Amino acid sequence: MENPILENVKNLYVYILFWIFITIIYIILLHWESQVDLGTVLLDGVVSFSLLGGLGLSAWYSVKYLQLDNSRAFKLIFSHVLSGLIAAAVWLFLSYSVLLFVLGGETSFKSFFSNTLPWRFLIGLLFYFMITLFYYIFIISKNLQEKNLKEKELRNLVTEAELRSLKFQINPHFIFNSLNSISALTDINRERSKTMVQKLADFLRYSLQNSNRDKNSLDEEIKAVELYLGIEKTRFGDKFEFAKEVDETMLNELIPTMILQPLFENAIKHAVYETTDKIFIKLKCKEENEMLKIIVENNFDCESISKKGTGLGLKIIENRLSLFYNRNDLFKVEKNDGLFRVTMLIPIN
Amino acid sequence: MVKKSKVLIVDDEELARTIIRKYLADFDTIEIVGECGNGFEGIKMINENKPDIVFLDIQMPKISGFEMLELIENPPIIIFTTAYDKYALKAFEVNAVDYLLKPFSHERFSESVNKAITLLKNKAAGSKPVEKLVNYNSSQKEYLERVVVKDGTKVFVIPCNKIKYIEAQDDYVMIYFASGKFLKQKTMKFFEEHLSEKEFIRVHRSYIVALSQINKIEQIQKDSYQIILKDGEKIPVSKTGYSKLKKLLK
Repeated sequence: MENPILENVKNLYVYILFWIFITIIYIILLHWESQVDLGTVLLDGVVSFSLLGGLGLSAWYSVKYLQLDNSRAFKLIFSHVLSGLIAAAVWLFLSYSVLLFVLGGETSFKSFFSNTLPWRFLIGLLFYFMITLFYYIFIISKNLQEKNLKEKELRNLVTEAELRSLKFQINPHFIFNSLNSISALTDINRERSKTMVQKLADFLRYSLQNSNRDKNSLDEEIKAVELYLGIEKTRFGDKFEFAKEVDETMLNELIPTMILQPLFENAIKHAVYETTDKIFIKLKCKEENEMLKIIVENNFDCESISKKGTGLGLKIIENRLSLFYNRNDLFKVEKNDGLFRVTMLIPIN
Repeated sequence: MVKKSKVLIVDDEELARTIIRKYLADFDTIEIVGECGNGFEGIKMINENKPDIVFLDIQMPKISGFEMLELIENPPIIIFTTAYDKYALKAFEVNAVDYLLKPFSHERFSESVNKAITLLKNKAAGSKPVEKLVNYNSSQKEYLERVVVKDGTKVFVIPCNKIKYIEAQDDYVMIYFASGKFLKQKTMKFFEEHLSEKEFIRVHRSYIVALSQINKIEQIQKDSYQIILKDGEKIPVSKTGYSKLKKLLK
């Protein structure tokens, strides 16, 4: 790490300004309190604090050497007290020599300097600690910033990974049950078994192909849903009906891949699986307030108590939407009077 | 004439039943006495038709195949048919003869039926019924979400969050709900293990209480406590039960 004061010109100006300010206060106070003439006081202030400012710059090296996180507290304090004492002594020696040289060995100055020696020493020590403290604070805040930045980068990475992992995964039981249906159909109706195999293949192809793609058109998504429902229809027969109401101007809008099908899988799992009544599943897509509004609704058996998995599938979709569009108001689930409704809003570009 | 074995098929998918029916046609000692598509009907048909062998799906509307078995006294020979492999262990715990993973082959199916027929013969010859094949201590903890109970011929499915408390009664437990109580043939240990410890606590040898129902804990005497439920009912608390409660409420 560079010395923060020398890092750029602006910091250096601020540093110099600080010392000029301190020098002026010193001069005023000293002139006020002591009977020493203004010329000597002026010279004393300028020389002393220029030197102290210079020494302050070099204090950076001791701070850099004594890092907070890898030095023991005792060692830290001891070293800084020691170097503070040395720095103050060096400072006093230098300013005394320079001032004596400039003033030509004036005796009145000599006595003035030795009278104020303890105070000078204290000032030197105080400023040494002040500057050291400033350097440490600077280092800590810089580390914090870096940590935040790293964390942010990490979060972005996690979000990306999450999005990837939240992507649709085919439910294996759906495949096995479908295969079982095909197995039965090959005996009783070969034509239907062929259609079923075809539909299953198309559906699997769609979901596999799109596992690498982020977005797809609404049209394609609806086709995948229809394939899926077609397969389930073979399994469950008349146990459910599907109807759609889609605004055709919306068909080319892009939506996150495989975001629609899980909603239907959810309806099949929680409504059709759990009841003996007939289930009606409805899909509505329309434009509203420059958004594509997608509604999936189905009736369900209020008395059936779903065993498990309630909400996880929906949660995943909600997470995907909020990660995708960076908004939390795009997904809504309503459940009342035996009607289950999911509403998704997709921002239209 | 040889007495035919009576078979019942319980599966919510028509096609799944079809294939079982078709494969069973190979066996002339078997007679299909019924078919149904959900657990409620399954219980009814088992009680009415007294089948010898039942082909049972697990995932079904209303109540699952496992829950169905809980409600049947003297269950017949069970062959599970399912697409889920995760229930296999549990299936053998409830004395299933076989566990057929869908889709199954014709050979695998026949093998399973033969196994069942042999078992039936042994049973008829007076040999001991099948002992529990396995006595697994289900390590994979899965909490109950609902309980199935029977009142006469009526079956009720009750979510666990409606349970107030459970009381031991000999070989049974009495489960108390806001709207009534039901007797069930299960042990306290079963419920202690299968109810979420975040929601239920066993406070006494004979009592498990829903935490949400507790109003306050009262000291009756030195070292003797009782729980007052929200509706005023009192539940005794044992010493260990009290220390558990104290730990929980900390």
